[in-house]
Amino acid sequence: MKRLPLLYARDTSGKDYWRSLSERAGSPAFQESLLREFPDDASEPPAAFSRRGFLGILGATAALASMTGCRRPEEKILPYAHAPEEIVPGRPLHYATAFAFHGTAFGLLVESHGGRPTKIEGNPRHPESLGATGLYAQASVLDLYDPDRSQHPTEKGAARTWEEAAAFLGQLGAQLKARGGKGLAVIVDGQRSPTLAAALADLQRELPAAKVVRWEPFSRRNAREGARLAFGKPLDSVRDTAKAKVLVALDSDFLHAEGSHVKGARGFAEGRSDARVAPGKMNRLYAVESNFSVTGASADHRLRLQSRQIPAFAFALAAELGKQGLDLGDLTAAAGAKGKLSPEAAKWAASIAKDLLANKGASLVVLGDRQPAAAHAVVHLVNAALGNVGATVSHVAPFDDLADGATALVELAKSFGSAIDTVVVLGGNPVFDAPADAGFARALGAAKLSVHVATHVDETSAASTWHLNRAHFLESWGDVRAEDGTASIVQPLIAPLYDGKTEIEVVRALLGDRHKAYEAVRATWKKSFGVADDEKQWRRALHDGVIAGSALPREAVVASPSAVAAAVKALAAAPTDGFDVVFSADTHAWDGRFANNGWLQELPDPMHKVTWTNVALVSPATARDLGLSEALALELPPKAGEKTDLSKGTDAPAAEHIIVTVGGVQVELPVVVAPGLADKTVHVTVGQGRKVAGKVGTGVGVDVYPLRTSAALDVASGTVAKSATPARIARTQEHFQMEGRPLVREATLAEFVKDPDFAKKLVEAEDQGQMWPAFTYNGHKWGMAIDLNACLGCGVCVVACQAENNIPVVGPEGVLLSREMHWLRLDRYFEGTPDDPRSVTQPVTCQHCENAPCEQVCPVGATVHGVEGTNDMAYNRCIGTKYCGNNCPFKVRRFNYFNYQMDVPETHKMQFNPDVTVRARGVMEKCSFCIQRINEAKIGAHREQRERLRDAEVVTACQQSCPTSAIHFGDLNDASSKVSKVIESPRTYRLLEEINVRPRVHYLAKVRNPNPELETA
Amino acid sequence: MSSAKAHAAPLTNTDDSNPAERSPLILGGAGFASVTNSVAHIVERKTPSGWLVLFAAALTGLLILAGSLGKLVYTGVGVWGLNDTVFWAWDITGFVFWIGIGHAGTLISAILFLFRQKWRTSINRAAEAMTIFAVMAAGIYPAFHVGRVWLLYWVFPVPNQMSLWPNFKSPLLWDVFAVSTYATVSILFWYVGLVPDLATLRDRATTRVRAVVLGIFAIGWRGSHRHWLNYEKAYLILAGLSTPLVLSVHTIVSFDFATSVIPGWHTTIFPPYFVAGAVFSGFAMVVTLMVIVRKAFGLENIVTLRHLENMNKIILTTGSIVGYAYAIEFFTAWYSGNNYERFTFINRAFGPYAWAYWTMVSCNVISPQLFWFKKIRTSIPAMFVLSIFVNIGMWFERFVIIVTSLHRDYLPTSWTYFRPTIWDISLFLGTFGLFFTAFLAFLRFLPAIAISEVKGVLPEADPHGHGHGDESDDAHDAEAAHA
Repeated sequence: MKRLPLLYARDTSGKDYWRSLSERAGSPAFQESLLREFPDDASEPPAAFSRRGFLGILGATAALASMTGCRRPEEKILPYAHAPEEIVPGRPLHYATAFAFHGTAFGLLVESHGGRPTKIEGNPRHPESLGATGLYAQASVLDLYDPDRSQHPTEKGAARTWEEAAAFLGQLGAQLKARGGKGLAVIVDGQRSPTLAAALADLQRELPAAKVVRWEPFSRRNAREGARLAFGKPLDSVRDTAKAKVLVALDSDFLHAEGSHVKGARGFAEGRSDARVAPGKMNRLYAVESNFSVTGASADHRLRLQSRQIPAFAFALAAELGKQGLDLGDLTAAAGAKGKLSPEAAKWAASIAKDLLANKGASLVVLGDRQPAAAHAVVHLVNAALGNVGATVSHVAPFDDLADGATALVELAKSFGSAIDTVVVLGGNPVFDAPADAGFARALGAAKLSVHVATHVDETSAASTWHLNRAHFLESWGDVRAEDGTASIVQPLIAPLYDGKTEIEVVRALLGDRHKAYEAVRATWKKSFGVADDEKQWRRALHDGVIAGSALPREAVVASPSAVAAAVKALAAAPTDGFDVVFSADTHAWDGRFANNGWLQELPDPMHKVTWTNVALVSPATARDLGLSEALALELPPKAGEKTDLSKGTDAPAAEHIIVTVGGVQVELPVVVAPGLADKTVHVTVGQGRKVAGKVGTGVGVDVYPLRTSAALDVASGTVAKSATPARIARTQEHFQMEGRPLVREATLAEFVKDPDFAKKLVEAEDQGQMWPAFTYNGHKWGMAIDLNACLGCGVCVVACQAENNIPVVGPEGVLLSREMHWLRLDRYFEGTPDDPRSVTQPVTCQHCENAPCEQVCPVGATVHGVEGTNDMAYNRCIGTKYCGNNCPFKVRRFNYFNYQMDVPETHKMQFNPDVTVRARGVMEKCSFCIQRINEAKIGAHREQRERLRDAEVVTACQQSCPTSAIHFGDLNDASSKVSKVIESPRTYRLLEEINVRPRVHYLAKVRNPNPELETA
Repeated sequence: MSSAKAHAAPLTNTDDSNPAERSPLILGGAGFASVTNSVAHIVERKTPSGWLVLFAAALTGLLILAGSLGKLVYTGVGVWGLNDTVFWAWDITGFVFWIGIGHAGTLISAILFLFRQKWRTSINRAAEAMTIFAVMAAGIYPAFHVGRVWLLYWVFPVPNQMSLWPNFKSPLLWDVFAVSTYATVSILFWYVGLVPDLATLRDRATTRVRAVVLGIFAIGWRGSHRHWLNYEKAYLILAGLSTPLVLSVHTIVSFDFATSVIPGWHTTIFPPYFVAGAVFSGFAMVVTLMVIVRKAFGLENIVTLRHLENMNKIILTTGSIVGYAYAIEFFTAWYSGNNYERFTFINRAFGPYAWAYWTMVSCNVISPQLFWFKKIRTSIPAMFVLSIFVNIGMWFERFVIIVTSLHRDYLPTSWTYFRPTIWDISLFLGTFGLFFTAFLAFLRFLPAIAISEVKGVLPEADPHGHGHGDESDDAHDAEAAHA
């Protein structure tokens, strides 16, 4: 080794020091020795390259050059030297939390991989979830990773730190305290957090002059006010649909879009489960509604009626019940006077009344949230008189007594700039969703100071002085009460990605308290847990996801028919002219808050399969009256005796716009001709058309809120005209008829009793043998069964599948080209006449055929039969000939036409399920029966030295999320498994059995339970 | 053209009023020398400006092909209009279209050879070249329609360490073998036939470079008796090898559809139907090309009206077979009692793609029927237009089979409508660019007519002839073939 020789290190000070005589002599031999590291004769490396040395170094170079593949991050990384307890790399953990939504809360179990929440499941212990989820809870995990979330507070658009924001809040609080809260308005959304409620109570105590108003665009306020009329106090209803033998839904989509729909749907499906498909045991659902809702499609009888006439129907029903002997006091007469109906509807009311009376205590009348309080009062009374209170419905005290509703908000907005100079908006987005007559954006501008707490910079944030970035519920501490009061702790799965805070912290900061949300929540529950048992109960609450015994006591009710009768008399008669303009929340965006969620935007709406926009719905007859083009009606079933007009394209047809005018305000939006809608009615959804939402949601659809005023919040009277603007609507399905094919098989209960095997008899499917030797299954043999009696077509399974399996979103352009990637789709069919059709739905996923056409045609063997009967895709092996897709009779295969996952934002990548391959461009993909879950369970079983999995050890994502438990999955080789039992039902059939593909997915035919009295009409 | 007589009576060889006496195949009193001269002249003269213009146009098409493939590979198959119901459309339509066109060349060179149809000699060379270029154009589609073209080699049974082995149950794999065999045999057959003519050109070469290059490809041909003996045997064997290919290739291509479960595809009639269609479209393409070539290069005496008329008769025959197949498909669908099948065929004729179906029927079934009239089948403008109609019709036939069957199959909820994008169209145009670039190069640099074979059908070549060719009586032996 060469060293720096000493002679170069000579002291330059001028004096010459020497260390030895030889150095002083400076002989050449000494000079040379200085350059040597080792003394003479020591073994040293060769000075020049030898041949061997050269080759050696060459080899090492080559070897080391290939080492560049072993990349190490340049940044400092730290191993889990002291790993958090319970973390096993590669194994997910589940934590309980809760999702507050629409007047209730859904308990969740969230799957977390290495500290990243990836998938949401329902918490089986939670009364609202029962192990399943709703659409929005299921999709909420994507919102957590939304790259458009606001990342810091802003003041007039300029970035601020939370330190600055906290200082500002403290200062503001001090100022407000000094004047007793005068001039402060706080607007809260539909929150149900006891801790936040406590904070707000403190705020009201410390700032007594402050006004606190609750605003939510869709609420259960009318039902609550109805209870005030009927029972003398505002109450929330808790329904138990499982106990109801006869259900009457009046303009209510209680199975899908209203309130505690998961629970409602589960109970409804239980009433028609396989064991109960028998006379006298099966429940019966009547739907009277203007829109063709999921509930209406699931009903045994459906009457279409304008929303404005629904109160009259409720009154007529009450009057009819009174006439048939039910004691409704003064109401019978008052309702009879107001309940004027068409003869057909009157006959319906009579039949339903009879059925209800025959099932006293086991019936339930449900009225839609959009109906007025007086009608709700009547329904409350009817339920009480039928003895349903305490059986199928019970009542609890409302969460709080804040001023709420559209009128309160409008009143408040009027005082902005005069009585109110400081507005604090905690969640919600009133600039976008407040009633139009509040003029909220303008009003907010008049206030001196406005503060908005939200996860995104939205319309309200943009109009506010301060925007404070809120933490997502999956990254913050909180608590929430469900409909019946059952409380859950909202616990974070991950530290806030953008250092957001919650409303609790903001209110506390305003009051000069800088404790964290955790401490506030902990303090709330410490009171109820008691000091001694606090820690134990806290841990139990976190683990279980519900706080034991926190449900509110059921309130005893005393009916006051005369008050209701007075209210009924006072109710203005429905207008007879003009159109009914009915507002509901958008499937994709709800009230607008989910507009930036790609999964939800691309989720086809349950009835018309519209994605990426909102539309107006009109009935076929109305469409004709409006002069809309015939092409729009192609989805309609042909009239009896007519054949489908084949020449009509199944391409996304050129659609049209209509102009809806309410109170002089016009909105132009694309129109879909919806079979089964009430005539002279236009159904619009609000929530789309966001102006400040994010990359996904901004500009999607049309904003319909300008039509919605406090006077006519949910049902307005307006006019409709055809517009010249053409439209293209991205729909995942363009053809809604079965073409006489035995796809969804259906019978009435009477027909089923007469011939239980009706479904199997619809096709002659003899065993045609097969060309290759049959597969044998010694281990498991997976199979699925889907009960069409239970399936509502709500779409939760589709989102669950998307979240579980890293399925990309293709955008409206992709949907217009029919390239949506959903592995599971819900087919919707209409039958009957266009005016009064019935509708059925059918989930179709890969059928994992025993004799799979796809497997045989792949030239490279990329799709093969698994040893346990699944049809497997080897993405690595796929070269993308797409032949399998062509040859799939169910068309469930999905091709990656582009590299859809290439531009996925970094944050979204954190959501990916690490157990599922992210597919690249050019490969085919499809449902795998959640093979990753099967394998995970098998690895677990292997470690426990079990040969076989137990039943229900593998639950597919769709099955787990299904509110009605319509999907069963398990081992067909195990005769005791649930799925084996389910497919023993006589209703079992398989799709396209006649072409000998032998699907592994079984369907249980649908059985309806019509009322013979109405059926013969 | 070398003699005034040719111009005087060019149509005399289509008179078949007397079956006992066949009309001459070659007109204009051409002798051995004039045949050689007129064919070799095309290759040896200065590049005509008309050719340059056409070649520039064809090269533009080739560039479009390169651009379209570049875009396709760079961006993904999504640039086409395909969707998750119709996974194949213009790609496989184009593939079957071009493969079908190739069939005429093989049929002319192999089957007509075995059946001793002497009239084939004037057109076989060009038709074989057309086959090869059509197969090249066809090959682009299956190669590039896959999602990951860089892994295409996985379809070949190449031993590897990745445990990859092709699935021999897949008709696509059968395609790989069928088409590659076809391409190989076609090229060999064509080349073997070229050898004597290459030698002729070599001997006529005026520059050293030309003589050496042609000499290499002429592989030492001297025209000796032994050479001729070996040549004829080799040619016969290759003809024998090619003959089954005429039937097998399109049969196997049709298996892509026939073995599937999709109504409209799952049809046992497909193999003969596809072969007839292929011959039909191939002959139409030969007619289109030869009408232009004979005019442009002054070969009217060699590629005579009788040749064209014969081809038109084949077009009439195969067109009728195809028409019969269309009809019988409907019968089968009805007779099967299978509702899905019935629906598919009704949907073809009356559904959203009815326009494509009726284009196909008009072009393929109705238009060739005009060839019953001698006036029409011997009229150059009429046959040119009709042959183009047939080509259009045959493209639509494949489109109708592929797209209309897929777009509405079993479950109505997944029904869609396919619409091509600019990239579907540009790639198809590009394959024409490739085809014509190659074909024009062939016309410029290689003898477009099989000189030696044409000479073999001259009256002079027949020792028992009736003395039609009075001028060249002294040239009866085969040696004269490369005078």
